[in-house]
Amino acid sequence: MLVWLGNIIIVLGICFMIFGAWGLFKLKDFYSRILVASKIDTVGVVSLIIGFALRHGFSFFSSKLFLIMVILLVLNPLVAHILARSAYISGHDVGDDTPESEAKE
Amino acid sequence: MYIVFWAMLGLLAIYLVRVVIGPSVWDRLLGLSLISTKIIVIIVVVASIYEKSFLLDFAIIYALSGFIGTIFIALFLSKQRLGRKRGKR
Repeated sequence: MLVWLGNIIIVLGICFMIFGAWGLFKLKDFYSRILVASKIDTVGVVSLIIGFALRHGFSFFSSKLFLIMVILLVLNPLVAHILARSAYISGHDVGDDTPESEAKE
Repeated sequence: MYIVFWAMLGLLAIYLVRVVIGPSVWDRLLGLSLISTKIIVIIVVVASIYEKSFLLDFAIIYALSGFIGTIFIALFLSKQRLGRKRGKR
């Protein structure tokens, strides 16, 4: 039953990641792209890792998986914040890379 | 379980496309950080398939070093005044 539940969560994680990839291409601006991609990607990775942990039950393997999940939960949003901050500091405006802004230049 | 492996490889290729065509340099950095997350998931999948728990240590080390690399690239770029406003902020 546990393995069956783990498989469902893994499939859910893959769907999250596919949405993330789709969002990465559909959105026209960098800031909206980084918001969507990093958030959905973190959720996808965490659900995948929980799914694998469920498949392996309560074992040494799952404890390492839990450690990886904690690291990813902390680091992924951190990197997204630093990226957006560095883009903002060096003058990358909100609508900078959209086709309209290039045409206007 | 191999489906997860191939799904991650497909997504990795998709993010590579974003890294190549990304208009600004930060899109490329975003693509790279997402690719490193995908590689971590691929390592976890391989470790789960072969039931080898020492492979997860690679995933932990790669998770830490990959993100730190992206962080320092982003910090370096923020001082280069690449944006249109030439960093007036």
